[in-house]
This record gives sequence, C-alpha cells and structure tokens, in this order.
Amino acid sequence: MVKQGKKYWHKLGVDLLRDRWLYALILPGFIWFLIYRYLPMAGLSLAFREYDMKGGLFGGEFVGLKYFQYIFFEHRNFWQLVWNTLIINIYKLIFYFPIPILFAMFLNEILSERYKRVLQTIIYLPHFVSWVVFGSIIITFLNPTEGIVNQIIQLFGGEPIFFLSDPKYFRGIVVISDIWKEAGYGTIIYLAAITGIDPTLYEAGRIDGASRWQSMRYITLPCISETIVVMLLLDIGRIMNVGFEQIYVLANSAVYSTGDVISTYVYRLGIGSGRFSLTTAIGLFQSVIGFVMILSCNAISRKVADKGLW
Amino acid sequence: MHKKHIRGTVDGVGILSYIVMTLFAVLCFFPFYYIFIVSISDPDKVREGAMILYPQGFSLEAYEVTLTHARFYSSLKVSVIRTLVGTALGVVFSSALAYAVSRPYLRGRKWLTLFLIFTMLFNGGMIPTYLVVRYTGLIDTIWALIIPNMINTFNVIVLINFFRAVPAELEESAKMDGANDIIIFIRLMIPVAMPSIATITLFIAVYHWNALTDGILYINTSTKKPLQVYLNDIVVAGQTQDMFQDASARWMPTMSLKTATIFASTLPILIVYPFLQKYFVKGVMVGSVKG
Repeated sequence: MVKQGKKYWHKLGVDLLRDRWLYALILPGFIWFLIYRYLPMAGLSLAFREYDMKGGLFGGEFVGLKYFQYIFFEHRNFWQLVWNTLIINIYKLIFYFPIPILFAMFLNEILSERYKRVLQTIIYLPHFVSWVVFGSIIITFLNPTEGIVNQIIQLFGGEPIFFLSDPKYFRGIVVISDIWKEAGYGTIIYLAAITGIDPTLYEAGRIDGASRWQSMRYITLPCISETIVVMLLLDIGRIMNVGFEQIYVLANSAVYSTGDVISTYVYRLGIGSGRFSLTTAIGLFQSVIGFVMILSCNAISRKVADKGLW
Repeated sequence: MHKKHIRGTVDGVGILSYIVMTLFAVLCFFPFYYIFIVSISDPDKVREGAMILYPQGFSLEAYEVTLTHARFYSSLKVSVIRTLVGTALGVVFSSALAYAVSRPYLRGRKWLTLFLIFTMLFNGGMIPTYLVVRYTGLIDTIWALIIPNMINTFNVIVLINFFRAVPAELEESAKMDGANDIIIFIRLMIPVAMPSIATITLFIAVYHWNALTDGILYINTSTKKPLQVYLNDIVVAGQTQDMFQDASARWMPTMSLKTATIFASTLPILIVYPFLQKYFVKGVMVGSVKG
C-alpha cells in the first residue's frame, strides 16, 4: 500500500514536471477564473452579512437570514419581480420557442440553395447587432408621433398608441422583439440537426407516396425531436434569467408593473442605491434556483434524450 | 442535389415555405434599410413627419452633426480600444487555456473541465461581481470593459473540442524533436486551429463591440463610456436634445440624429458580417456537437 502510494506520488511528480509548460498556459486563465468567476461566488455570502465600505466583500457583521426574511415576507414587490421574470420566459417558451424549429423546417423545404443562403444571411443578421441598436430601432418604430407603426395606424384612421409606456403591451413587445432578433439565428441548431437526417428516409417516404407535408411531419420532425427536447430543457433551465440588456433597453418606469425583472431591479437598487446586501440576497436566490433548474433539466435530458445538456 | 432530385415537385408546403421565409427575411432586413434611408433623407422632410419608405431627398447633414459630436468621438474611441485589446487578450488566454485542458494526458484535466463548466451553471451575479471589479481597482477605467468578461467559458469549451480533434501524431513528432508545449502550441497548434480561432475571434470582437452591461455598471465618467452606452443615452433615454444642444443641431430633427447615430454604430458589424457569416455556422455547430 505504502509503496503504491509512493509510486503514485512519484508518477504525479514526473507528470507535473513533464507538463509544466501546459500548466503555464493554463495559469493566467485559471487565475482569471478564480478572481472574476469564483471570487464573486464567494462574495454571495454578502447576502448573510451587513455590507460596509470598510469590510468590503468579506467584511461586515453577520446578520443571518435577515435579508431573506425581508425579501420573502416583507418586500413589497419581490414576488411581482419573480413573476414578471417567469411569465416573460413562459411567454417566450410558448411563442418564441417553436418558431426557429418551424423556420428551419421551412428553410429545408426551399430547394434553391442560393436563395436559401440569401435568406439565411438576412435572417441571421439581427442576432449580431446589439440590443441597444435593435431596441433603439424598436423604440423608434413605436414612437407615438414619428414612429412608423403609429403612422400606419393613423393611416387607417386609428389613434396613436403609446406602446412603450403602457404596461399591457410590454411583455408582448419583449417576446415579439425577441422573435424578430433571434428566431432566424435560432434556426442554425435545427438546420444542423436536419442536415444529419439520412436522405434515404425521404426516398423511402416518397416511394410510399408521402407528400412533402407528410415527409416534413413524419420524417423531419421526429428526426430532430431529440434536439428539440435538449433545447427546450436548456430554455426551461434558464427560466429565472431574462436577458438583462433587452429589458434594460426597452423598459421604462411606466411599465415596471409588468416589465421589471429581477436583474433590472437588482441593477437599479444595487448599483443605483448601493443596497448591496439586499440585492446580493436576491441574486443568490436567483442563482440557486437557476442552478437547481439546470441540474434537474440535465438529469431529465439524460433520461429522455439519452444525453446530457453539456 | 440529391434532395432536389427526390422532392422536386412544387406544392403547398413549398410555396408556404417560400412565402413565410421571404416575409420574415424582409422583416429582418427592414429595420436596417429604414434606419439607413431616414438617416440620409433631407432633415426638412424628416421633420415634416411623413412616413418614409424610400429616401426623401439626400443629405448627410445628420452624419456631419453626429459624427463630429464630442461624445460620439470619445465613445467610438473607447469601443475601438476595448474591442481590439479585449479581443486580443480574450483569444490568447482562451486558446492557451483550451489547448492545455484539451490534452488527454494532462493531470487534473477532468477537474479543470469541471472548474470551467461550473461557471456556466452557477455565478456570483451582478452585485458580487461588481464589488470584485471595484476591489480590483478597475471601476471607471477602460480595463473594466476588458478584464471582467475577458474569457467566455462557452468559447473555451468550443476551442477545447477543436484542439481535441487535432491528430495526436502532430504533437508527438514535434515532441520527438524536443519542442516544449508552449512552442508546439504557438508554432503548430495555432496554425492548425486557425479557422476555429478566427471564428472565436470574430465572436469575441462582436461581443465587445455590442456589450452594454459592463459600460453601465462599471463606467461613470461620460467620456469613458463605450458607444453602446452613448447610443442608449441618446435614443433610449431620450436625451437627444439635451446632448446636441449646440446651434448646429437645434434645427435638426431628433429622428435624423438618432438614425444617423444608430447606423454609424452598426456599420462595423455590417462590415465584418460577411466574414463572420463564413465562419460562424461552423463554430456554432462544432460547439453544439458536445458543448
């Protein structure tokens, strides 16, 4: 036993020495991850302490669950923030999620390779501009006086609608703008899955007299179902996270009742008002739920699709 | 070719596909077209507020005002520097890390992979990260836009998969010749993995150009803010008139100024897009094979 242990340590030493230059390549990145990814995780302990300037990230008096008690039971709109976050993501799951799948299947039905490539080039483009630019364009379009949407409404004799200052439109605008910006790019993963389908399946289908609609429904769709399940689980795993930049750009104080989400609230109260302990507690709540969700979805994925999410 | 042969007939599904996808493509292209034509239209015509679907007259006055605006210039400089430096550092550290972790014989490889992947599943969140940035002395410096998001874990995972696919013989023969790992990495592996590194480079560059959050979190001085924050202040926060108070701008409709600023700050993306497109499909696919 002792001898074996010795051997192990000897071998380890030899290996470490042999690969010292590889470890040297890892070192800068490793240190970066420690400081900018793991140190903030340790900083989550701030949720249990009273932040003070002098103590910094790890100082401050221990206050136990004070802030959690506050956000769960006393905070006026914490549950509203959670609900806004969840419902926007649920709407996205219902209305956004199927669209890239449908578009990928449609693209697959376009027989001219050149036209297909032109379409792909155009529909991927919005993904690569920032939310500020895209949000600016949406805001410009929806402007009550000079925006094109209201100009069209007025053309048909309607009254201009104040889209961006009315809480009842906000979630719809978030989902539609998301479809507009990301649905095209979202087709890539499904197109990749479709490319992998054995062409003889379609041939066999044709011999059996399947129409194109039938081969789409009974060959393409089942063949990409595994990808669909994996993507669905990934999205469900991220249900507590809404893209901060999209909401930050599109929302204003008039629509906070339906559009303020956890991250935008944490930003305003944390950075804006310096309530570090309170907002860290909210952030920890969000991170823990997110972690549990994604692990559960991974476990489900292992069972259903026979492969993990990562 | 093969597919065309099998399913060459035109029918309902085919027509529906053409119509839906063409309409969606038009919808995706329209914003860029619209912003562009409004920005080059005659400001007087824009002020009248009529619906513009094609250029009304021609004028570059809006660009003259926006591009010479002092804050546009300083923001542009910040964005260019952060993109160049941030991309260079990001690519170097990501690929070095990825190459070493991709070596199958490396001790602790599994732990290191877990160390990386865990950061995709759990994070410290906005406020603790902000505090770390603050205590590392980066607040209100350009480094706050470069260092805190220097490495993207997903990109590292994609690169690990690329390096893993490189045949082992390459490395072995170089080792026979007595080259050490750093030399092998620089002289041998980088050239071999160039297409994938180019993809990642473009992705990181686009990230840096488009990033808004770090600018609003970590930068306070207005002259140090990146272009996206400037654009947000102008268009979203509706400060167009406050910002362009000089006489030359007063007669200019805000719509012209907004569209010109939007288009000018999107132009770099539109320019690199063709190169990006050539590479990114490959990049995304390899990443999805086993992320």
